[in-house]
Amino acid sequence: MNDNKGNGMDHHHTHSSNPRELQMARSMCWHCQSEVSGEYFCDRCVKVQPVSKETDYFTCFGFPRRLTIDPSKLEAKFYELSRAFHPDFYQNKSETEQTISLGNSATLNSAYRTLRDPIQRAEYLLDLEAGAVKEIRNSPPADLFEEILELQDTLNEYRAADRTSEIGQQLRAKLQAEQLTLEQRKQDMETGLQQLFTDWDALQDRGDATSQSRTERDRLLKQMREILSNRTYVKSIVNDLVATIG
Amino acid sequence: MAYSDKVVDHFNNPRNMGSFKKDEEGVGTGMVGAPECGDVMKLQIKVQNDMIVDAKFKTFGCGSAIASSSLATEWLKGKTIEEAQKIKNTDIVQELNLPPVKIHCSVLAEDAIKAALADYQKKADGPATDAK
Repeated sequence: MNDNKGNGMDHHHTHSSNPRELQMARSMCWHCQSEVSGEYFCDRCVKVQPVSKETDYFTCFGFPRRLTIDPSKLEAKFYELSRAFHPDFYQNKSETEQTISLGNSATLNSAYRTLRDPIQRAEYLLDLEAGAVKEIRNSPPADLFEEILELQDTLNEYRAADRTSEIGQQLRAKLQAEQLTLEQRKQDMETGLQQLFTDWDALQDRGDATSQSRTERDRLLKQMREILSNRTYVKSIVNDLVATIG
Repeated sequence: MAYSDKVVDHFNNPRNMGSFKKDEEGVGTGMVGAPECGDVMKLQIKVQNDMIVDAKFKTFGCGSAIASSSLATEWLKGKTIEEAQKIKNTDIVQELNLPPVKIHCSVLAEDAIKAALADYQKKADGPATDAK
């Protein structure tokens, strides 16, 4: 899986999306005080409404909390909302509306950046579900840490060595092999994550509240947390390898 | 971002870099990582008669992480177990003048100290508990 692109395996979140049905955490129009049933604009006075700080990014986009998102749908929604909130359209409006437009645009941009990347999306979801995750402590992956520190020693040796010498060449070959292995491992982790994402979405779609499904939920969150963390460690040593041996 | 002189000094001349054998008597190993940034820290202490006689570290991470662990080993040497427990990440922040974005590096160093102490304690208590 590539961080920068979504994936096409998307079937869960198709909701007959009507932007006027968005669940927003506010109830009253700041301008006319009429009831606002969760929309970006007040029904009565048509004033733009601020996206609440408590509104999570999924809700902001009108998407359910799923880990598989169709990138083209996300993009389309992003453009639609970008136009709706764009400060250019509020230049002749009141100061309050200009402020709301700026705030909403900023939130929208962060939301889009986070949701369009599958890894960041998962990290974000784990943060939202943090209550459950905090209780599940993963023990640090000692073997992986040892490996990384050993590799770092080899990297330092290589940096200090004459690169044209035989020993320099040997070290370089060793590092290149390590890089390939680690990249493969990162790939495997991402495949594993993809499976967990699918399992998570399926569990959410079932939506039952049995103790069994709660156990399953905790297991998925814990596994995602673990792989995401390990992936970060592997990624950071791979970056170092690439920067050193090019 | 500009590093403080002390961070640069520890980064260029790290103190006590290296490692002890894990199973050596009196050695406690703390291995911790920061999943947010991918930093990894290994900190070891060697204890004789309740006194930390030596300490070593290996850190994969940014300059602040290296400096924090380097400083930690410097501080640990010559301290008793009890004194070592009292080292706080805020002490490290203060000494190294770490900016807010690098405070997590000092937290990691404190975690590493705690983990090393706990590992030593576990090893020290272990055989006695088994014998009972």
